[in-house]
Amino acid sequence: MGYLIGKGEDAAFWAKLRQDYDIYAPKRFPKQGRFSDTDIIRYDRVESGAEIVFDEKSDYPAKEVLTPICQAILYFTEDEYRASKASQRPILLFMRPCDIHAMQHQEKIYLENGGVADLYYRRMRERVHIVLMECSEGWDTCFCVSMGTNRVEDYALAVRQTEQGLLFDVREDALKTYFAGQPAADFQPVFVEKNSVSVTVPEIADKELLLKLKEHPFWQQFNGRCESCGACTIACSTCTCFTTRDVIYGDNPAVGERRRVTSSCQVSGFDDMAGGISFRKDAASRMRYKMLHKFRDYKARFGDHHMCVGCGRCTDRCPQFISVTATLEKMAAAVAELSSASK
Amino acid sequence: MNNPIMPVPCEILSVKQESRHEYTYRVKTDIRPKHGQFLQLSIPKIGEAPISVSGQGDGWLDFTIRSVGKVTNDIFRKRAGDTLFLRGAYGNGWPLEQLAGKHLIFITGGTGLAPVRSLLNHCATDPGFARSVRLIAGFKNEEGIIFAEDLARWQKCFQTTYALDKDEKAGWRTGLVTAFIKEIDFHAFDADYAVLIVGPPVMMKYAGLEAVACGVPEEKIWVSFERKMSCAIGKCGHCRIDETYVCLDGPVFNYQQAKYLVD
Amino acid sequence: MNHDINIKKLRINCFRQSKVPGEFMLQMRCPGGMIDAKYLSFVQHIAETWGDGSFHIGTRQSLDFCGIKYEDIPAVNAYIRTYIDEIENGVCQVGMEVDEHGYPTIGARNITACIGNHHCICGNINTFELARKIEPLIFPSHYHIKINIAGCPNDCNKAHLCDFGIIGTAKIDYHPERCIGCGACVRACEHGATRVLELNADGRVEKDPCCCVGCAECVKACPAGAWTRRPEPFYRVILGGRTGRQTPRTGKVFLNWASEEVVLAVIGNWHKFSAWVMDYKPEYLHGGHLIDRAGYKKFKELILDGVELNPECLVAEDIYWHETEYRSNFNVKPMRMHHHAGPSNG
Repeated sequence: MGYLIGKGEDAAFWAKLRQDYDIYAPKRFPKQGRFSDTDIIRYDRVESGAEIVFDEKSDYPAKEVLTPICQAILYFTEDEYRASKASQRPILLFMRPCDIHAMQHQEKIYLENGGVADLYYRRMRERVHIVLMECSEGWDTCFCVSMGTNRVEDYALAVRQTEQGLLFDVREDALKTYFAGQPAADFQPVFVEKNSVSVTVPEIADKELLLKLKEHPFWQQFNGRCESCGACTIACSTCTCFTTRDVIYGDNPAVGERRRVTSSCQVSGFDDMAGGISFRKDAASRMRYKMLHKFRDYKARFGDHHMCVGCGRCTDRCPQFISVTATLEKMAAAVAELSSASK
Repeated sequence: MNNPIMPVPCEILSVKQESRHEYTYRVKTDIRPKHGQFLQLSIPKIGEAPISVSGQGDGWLDFTIRSVGKVTNDIFRKRAGDTLFLRGAYGNGWPLEQLAGKHLIFITGGTGLAPVRSLLNHCATDPGFARSVRLIAGFKNEEGIIFAEDLARWQKCFQTTYALDKDEKAGWRTGLVTAFIKEIDFHAFDADYAVLIVGPPVMMKYAGLEAVACGVPEEKIWVSFERKMSCAIGKCGHCRIDETYVCLDGPVFNYQQAKYLVD
Repeated sequence: MNHDINIKKLRINCFRQSKVPGEFMLQMRCPGGMIDAKYLSFVQHIAETWGDGSFHIGTRQSLDFCGIKYEDIPAVNAYIRTYIDEIENGVCQVGMEVDEHGYPTIGARNITACIGNHHCICGNINTFELARKIEPLIFPSHYHIKINIAGCPNDCNKAHLCDFGIIGTAKIDYHPERCIGCGACVRACEHGATRVLELNADGRVEKDPCCCVGCAECVKACPAGAWTRRPEPFYRVILGGRTGRQTPRTGKVFLNWASEEVVLAVIGNWHKFSAWVMDYKPEYLHGGHLIDRAGYKKFKELILDGVELNPECLVAEDIYWHETEYRSNFNVKPMRMHHHAGPSNG
């Protein structure tokens, strides 16, 4: 059953929805881009559909809603730590299929890895109701079809932007009341069936091959090319790495907060240990570490699928124009070369 | 909801200076780690860092930390009666069931002695635990020596080789620990032994290769990894190597697995 | 050759004397150095019909044609009427009379500009659009001013070497909630700007706003969007730079963080200031010399007359052409902090 929320006649609809839900969606921040007079599109709380950007891919992913870049996790005084509080309000989170898959991939780490669920992720995740933003075309950096993340069956709402307004497919019963009295419309979301780029993730047969791949000279091209800025991992829909940092309030070292701050395996210092030891000292080894996580290691641990969802945001945001699909092709060529040499 | 990263306050019972840079803190706690497990210690202004347990007893445990610059400085202002925050224990620890009753060869580099200290003390106080204990402990220089009192004590009950990398010291050898591995007659152990290697990454790599070169089967070698960790519960990603999370699957690995763990 | 030529009059008409007697070089204005490519056919036609077939891009981004015969000047002037009208009135909204007699006043002091944020990843402003807004304020006029516009503090267009150098800057907002503490901005500022950023113990970035030049290198470097430019552009105005045989010098900061309205209002006062200094008799003099003749304090009074400064705008209390300024920009401050000389009014 679908509904049309007509443009210009939707104020009451959004007001009612807002009463009960926090609505998060990609929103335009004018002139806040990397270069002057360019915009940025990122997730934020919105008041109505008019604020939601449908016709462009957001620069930053939906994960920022579930795992903010900075998050207070504990507050401390001399003899006590206590957990930060979180809102109980449900969230309607507008996401494209890639972002929805990315959330499911991240859940494996936050909720399942090590048999322990992370409190902070769990309490946010439990608030989220998925709103599928129909994505039928994609963009030139997308490769969701190759990664199997182009379709989503399970959602609370699905939405399509049209000239007349927003078409909704309502799956979750609790949401049906908000659509009562709205004009019915025939709407089922369609999905991207073909991207302009397609990739084949190489199979890395065994650990011996993996060791050889790590040492393959093709990674060296990223030294001098990649700046190790980490923009790819911040923009990544699936990267989860964070650092814990204590911040002291004012000049009293006994009072403060513990924060979880997004970190990046691409930034120098990620693997630094006390005593000056670090493991991945150059851009090439950091790129190798990231690529293998996205296209081998995650799947090796969690089984079903690769970590990467093919959203292409890393390619979009790379200031040095390093394309993840081109890099994957190079990696595949290296794997093929090593595989044939070992036969 | 359960919060697995909530630290618990622990009272400091005593602070003991081990060397110029090392301090051992004894804290009151009911946490009973396995030998080789680690804890997460809250460090004001920094966050959290993994520390290995260097000793434990009924209602207390020891950890030893080194003052290497600003990271740990605030900790060194703490005195007996003050509070520290800990959580854990984490990781797998040494596989005691596979070590018990065997000849044990410990090869350590620098502060790598800390993660095996409690196990060595266990061997010392419970002579029935291991058939014999051989300890090769190397340090960069005289300043780097930790647990001097323990080293002296262990000399009496274990067969020991203590060495400085380049410097001379009375009663000590000079050279890298890898150079002394070949002096061990592994055949004399009649295949009933285990080798435990802990130290900086490069030292562990070459000590492992040397042991294998000396004919030690890979499955008899165990290593303990040290990595940066922010969470210790498999979320933060800092300690991941391939599909392995050191905080969950380690820090102790059999060499058969460890040899593939290239960061 | 036996011509009777008033070369001063021709200079004002934008034809400059050649070392070849009877030949002249036409200099056409090109405000901000940006015109439609279609005018290149104009350029070609002039050069091939009346010039020597070549074409020079003037040092002030004018379009220059050598080898024009004195007797051809009327024909050339008739031909460039369209160009002058389309560029000056069409593009720049000057609203001047255009006839078949060519340029009414000397046009060689073209407003120059780098490509700015029309293309450049460093640019903070659209440089040629600003040039086109300034053009009606300074042209046509017999009082001359050399204006160079640079899109960012890298100052590729040498705002420091003209009467009025305008540098596009940005006020930067820090969003600590988006900062991952990676230090990329700190390194970028240290490497390419004025080292005003520092990572503190909390993993947050602290800034010395006094010495920030507003280049936005931090914005470019940040992987997470923790630094953003404010939407409205700001400008630094560099005063009194010049080349020349006698006393070349680099300009100094006159205004910092000026709004576009302030920049335009200040330039709008240039005629009044020049006229006053030269007792209303235009001379062929660099603007910098006029400032020297009047003294900076008098200049400041006349040039800021009626100008309402935006709240962020700082003004140089003095100009220290040669003194060592131990603290960069310490002298550029809010007007209320400027010292007063002479008898107090109240």
